[in-house]
Amino acid sequence: MTVVIGFEGSANKIGIGIIRDGEVLSNPRRTYITPPGQGFLPSDTARHHRAVILTVLKEALEQAGLKPADIDCVAYTKGPGMGAPLVTVALVARTVSQLWGKPLLGVNHCIGHIEMGRLITKANNPTVLYVSGGNTQVIAYSEQRYRIFGETIDIAVGNCLDRFARVIKISNDPSPGYNIEQMAKKGSQYVELPYTVKGMDVSFSGILSYIEDAAHKMLSSGQCTSEDLCFSLQETLFSMLVEITERAMAHCGSQEVLIVGGVGCNKYAEAFKFCIDNGAMIAQAGWEMFRSGQVTELEDSWITQRYRTDEVEVTWRD
Amino acid sequence: MAAAGEANGGTGKLESSLDVPFPSSREATIALRSLSPDKEPRKGGISKLITVSGSTLSRWSADEARILRVSVNSFLDHLSLVMETMEMFGP
Repeated sequence: MTVVIGFEGSANKIGIGIIRDGEVLSNPRRTYITPPGQGFLPSDTARHHRAVILTVLKEALEQAGLKPADIDCVAYTKGPGMGAPLVTVALVARTVSQLWGKPLLGVNHCIGHIEMGRLITKANNPTVLYVSGGNTQVIAYSEQRYRIFGETIDIAVGNCLDRFARVIKISNDPSPGYNIEQMAKKGSQYVELPYTVKGMDVSFSGILSYIEDAAHKMLSSGQCTSEDLCFSLQETLFSMLVEITERAMAHCGSQEVLIVGGVGCNKYAEAFKFCIDNGAMIAQAGWEMFRSGQVTELEDSWITQRYRTDEVEVTWRD
Repeated sequence: MAAAGEANGGTGKLESSLDVPFPSSREATIALRSLSPDKEPRKGGISKLITVSGSTLSRWSADEARILRVSVNSFLDHLSLVMETMEMFGP
């Protein structure tokens, strides 16, 4: 029996989860939500996490009905993500690891998503579409690495959605993407937007500039509604993602797709709570890594804003 | 906790040092090992050294007062989080 506690706080969600051999014992989380029209900045986000992290840690232990002595390993997000929030969370993880005398494990955030997806769906060897506010990658496993087959060459698809939400000033509660999805359902007119697939990769910054401009012009002249723009943006972005995912599937001869990351919540409400950043996904990846013999020494536990998915040696799979 | 800042005429750099007493050297060492792994976000113009001998000693040297202030400020925020964690989850 192996019990792992996982700490996640690389963006605006701070979550701490406990997993015991594939069972999620607790997974409390808090989200830093900014007013409409505003995004979240690193120092404010870190301040938010700092204010709640110890309370969330207590909740995680209480809800799981465990004491520190019951934990076998402390996992935390090493990266990628925003620097200040990552540091805040790593500090607590390092400190409790020493206080409780438990080994520490630095986890790649993207791999946390993948391992949680594999646990929930029990998919055999899927092509993974990882889509969030900070990342957009098509990933397939091969020979001890999660290989990136295609990715965004500029901003993440979720970033495109979040920043468009700011332009039309819709609420960030519970998330800008969720509110865009609700508005899109009421859209009736398709507005043509640039379609920018580049081979195996995608680009979103041009679409964002275009639609920001279109919003100012077309909304004031009444040519279309915000709902129409939300609908058109989703259609365009998701079609592009389907194209590059299908291309990767053809290359790998794979039959299954696993969608992970916050943007995966869209139309896939089933595993909703695990798509969004959470502590249990870090615990799950940590569980796999720990049982295959990996450990992070304190001196090597520094956080990093850039951390490629294919940098990690996947020692827990054949 | 004592802090002192002075301009060092030799190197032209600004220096600051902080001496944080802990109840035991175990706690001071835990704080050190939690606080030292991360690199300073800023690439140049600041250097920080943390050591333990009984209590925790940190020493900064920076080119500009503004850079020094930011680094010391962050350190104090991080230190207080580590201390709160030790208080809440320690033995």
